[in-house]
Amino acid sequence: MLEQQLINGLTLGLIYALIAVGYTMVYGVIQLINFAHGEIYMLGAFFCVTFITAAGLPFYAAIFMAILCCILCGILLDIIAYRPLRKAPRLAALITAIGMSIFLQNVALMIWGSRSRPFPQTALPPFFREKALVLGDVSLTWLQLFIFAVAIIMMIGLYLTINKTRIGTAMRALAQNKTAASLMGINVNYVISFTFALGSAMGAVAGILVSVYYNTLYPTMGYTAGVKAFAAAVLGGIGSVPGAMVGGVVLGVAETLGAGYVSSLYRDGVAYAVMIAVIIFRPSGILGKSVIDKA
Amino acid sequence: MNIGKSLILLVVAAVLTYPLVPQSSDYIIHVMTLAMVYMILAMGLNIVPGFCGLLDLGYVGFYGIGAYTAGLLTIHYGLSFWVIVPLAALNGALWGALLGAPTLRLTGDYFAIVTFGFSELVVLFLTNEIWLTRGPLGLPGIQPITLNLTWLNDAWYFEFYDKTPNFYVVALLVGLVFFIMRRMEDSRLGRAWYAIREDPLAAASCGVNILNYKVIAFAISAAIGAVGGAFYARWSMFLSPDMFKFWESFLVLCMVVLGGLGNIKGALLGAVILVSLGEVLREVLSSLGLPPESRFMAYGLIMVLIMRFKPAGFFPAIASSGRSNPLLIDLQKRLAARNVPKEETRDAAT
Amino acid sequence: MTPLLEVNGISKRFGGILALTDVSFNVIEGEILGLIGPNGAGKTTMFNCIAGVYKPTSGDLVFTLGGKSQRINGRKPEKMTELGIARTFQNIRLFSALTVLDNVRIARHCRTTSNFFRSVLRTRFQRAEEKEIVDASMRWLDFVGLGHHALANASSLSYGDQRRLEIARALATEPKLLLLDEPAAGMNPKETRMLVDLIHAILDAGVTVMLIEHDMKLVMTICKRLVVLDHGTLIAEGGPKEVRENPQVIEAYLGRGAAHA
Repeated sequence: MLEQQLINGLTLGLIYALIAVGYTMVYGVIQLINFAHGEIYMLGAFFCVTFITAAGLPFYAAIFMAILCCILCGILLDIIAYRPLRKAPRLAALITAIGMSIFLQNVALMIWGSRSRPFPQTALPPFFREKALVLGDVSLTWLQLFIFAVAIIMMIGLYLTINKTRIGTAMRALAQNKTAASLMGINVNYVISFTFALGSAMGAVAGILVSVYYNTLYPTMGYTAGVKAFAAAVLGGIGSVPGAMVGGVVLGVAETLGAGYVSSLYRDGVAYAVMIAVIIFRPSGILGKSVIDKA
Repeated sequence: MNIGKSLILLVVAAVLTYPLVPQSSDYIIHVMTLAMVYMILAMGLNIVPGFCGLLDLGYVGFYGIGAYTAGLLTIHYGLSFWVIVPLAALNGALWGALLGAPTLRLTGDYFAIVTFGFSELVVLFLTNEIWLTRGPLGLPGIQPITLNLTWLNDAWYFEFYDKTPNFYVVALLVGLVFFIMRRMEDSRLGRAWYAIREDPLAAASCGVNILNYKVIAFAISAAIGAVGGAFYARWSMFLSPDMFKFWESFLVLCMVVLGGLGNIKGALLGAVILVSLGEVLREVLSSLGLPPESRFMAYGLIMVLIMRFKPAGFFPAIASSGRSNPLLIDLQKRLAARNVPKEETRDAAT
Repeated sequence: MTPLLEVNGISKRFGGILALTDVSFNVIEGEILGLIGPNGAGKTTMFNCIAGVYKPTSGDLVFTLGGKSQRINGRKPEKMTELGIARTFQNIRLFSALTVLDNVRIARHCRTTSNFFRSVLRTRFQRAEEKEIVDASMRWLDFVGLGHHALANASSLSYGDQRRLEIARALATEPKLLLLDEPAAGMNPKETRMLVDLIHAILDAGVTVMLIEHDMKLVMTICKRLVVLDHGTLIAEGGPKEVRENPQVIEAYLGRGAAHA
């Protein structure tokens, strides 16, 4: 039983990690909690389903198109909402982020309605629900395996992008010191847009994977998932990409175990409690820097 | 007294006498009462982002704590509303201090997210601790507000089932909170908060203990939220966990932003405008066949646009820290007597 | 006589960098002490240690007040202010959205006590205190020559006036020791002359002054004693003449500084 819970938790945790890196990267470059990131994740799922049902695209093509749309949304979000406030007080930017989150969520509500809907099963490869591995009581479906593979490949891709490419170097430079980076000839706005694009792509994939895994999607799904992913980012140390990955997995496992062994009623509560506890007792997270407000 | 001021007084007087007019509509009294509940909340929330510059995303948590405190004390102990209000305020302040003390050391962003998590935990608690709150079924049968004056006259025992007396009770609370806010704003306390908002390091160098004053702000703000909740419980006579979801925090924050962060009168106007807008949108949206929740799209947009184009809110900061204080009026006279060019003092006064 | 402030082997480390290494000197009551050194010498770090913004990695700060000495390193900024150490900032940090008067009134915070209940009830005590706050604030504003601007917005003041407002704000906390971080930076010659008069007036009011300044002419004329830092270590201490002739100082600092002067 425990092993099964661990596997389920790991699946969930990898998805959280995919969302969490979006928060952490944006926080790293512009020190803003992008509350609307959860909405990008939600939009990923809805775009994908819409491409399947309305445009009749096959599953993988729909995923690709949904990712492109989310990247566009993420970049536009930054350009329209956040860029004009770069020099404004942080409170203004935070309030804008909350406002955009609510706005996007309700745009989705108006377009797709408030009811939750299932993921079109016919579009999925049929082997997804079959068991890939059975070891005693523990089983692993092809879908879970698919989620593991996608998440891990994307994480490795992200790691290589950040650490081995020119643009990744520019992102890290920006996270260190924006002024110095721009003096070194880095196009700050371009790099920020790229960061949003990268985060949005990861978020979109996470949204699609979740809606397939739980076979449901609804306009408010970004709200709880967003906060939990943020909790994961905090847990790992905000601003730290490996931290977000670790934090996501830890949180996913903790939540599944908490729901299984403590109380399923407090499933979401586990994430919030972990987050508050981490913020109070170790605000720098597992792999992050100190955030105590010195000033 | 100038024209603007007389006009405001006239409007306030007209609103306050409205329920006494025989043709008054119950619906309008209801909406006005609701608007006044939000006025209390908006004024209370304003302390944290407006005076101290910290984003509080979990204000509804304290509203809920106040409401359930009042509801449970009424049902189980039959306490009078007038005893419950201070108790609810104390309970709110207690939770505010408990949450604030460990988390207000952190940067503002972390604080925002902690408050959010807290209010979600409050809702989960209210939903799941069925032995105490009856969970999603809600808490029905809360007695209305009563006024027991039998010690003056044996016949003077009132139960406020009617809309009108409730209207006056909440108006009284709004007046009380407004009075407290104005007094705090123009005091050592208010100045310490402004200093923290403007520049924490300079504030500390002036001898302000930042953490203490943030916790005080958070606790007072929580207490006012709980007072709003206590009235709400006795007015609506029914509570359920759904009433205290994040949306409410967002709505109150939107009122504060609309009225201008740190602007007390602005928060009052923000509450009136958004409650009225909510009523209008509910009609309009349902006639368009859209779900009523989609009105939040408008609120989200309002917030984004205000932060972009009018970060100080729609209404100019009417008072910067107690211009009407006799001490300052006196000072202004003394300065004028020093033969300073007239323009300078006038500039300062506006 | 015990010095007002004894800086005893202070070191401050940021990660791998030693910003201050074993710095010791005394601040004597009633003097103007200049803290000089080339850019990056650790002057502001020293100020921040004394003002409580940074906690020194090692060493002691001993503050003596009314014959009572106490070790004060690691105390919070607000505690330092309460104790009688006030400061201004290198980059002006006013409460710019507030009025000139409010900026100074806030500085009375640590010398007053009214709490929430007194403020709301506006008790007789609180009203008397508020009046005292306004009077004291006006006294200090007049002291620096800004009294007639009391009700203007702090951000509307000229640059030189903003610097003086910062000094008024610091003085309103009733310090024994005032730390001025480059008070003359960005001032024109006329404003600088007024500043010199102001610093002498502060001294006459019984406040000891310690200042960081790059304007060598100013430092040499008003400071009786100088402390020179370079790369976080103390390289010289003494009167202006001594310091000027110290070969180490010339090498580290005045060699380059003389070319400007």
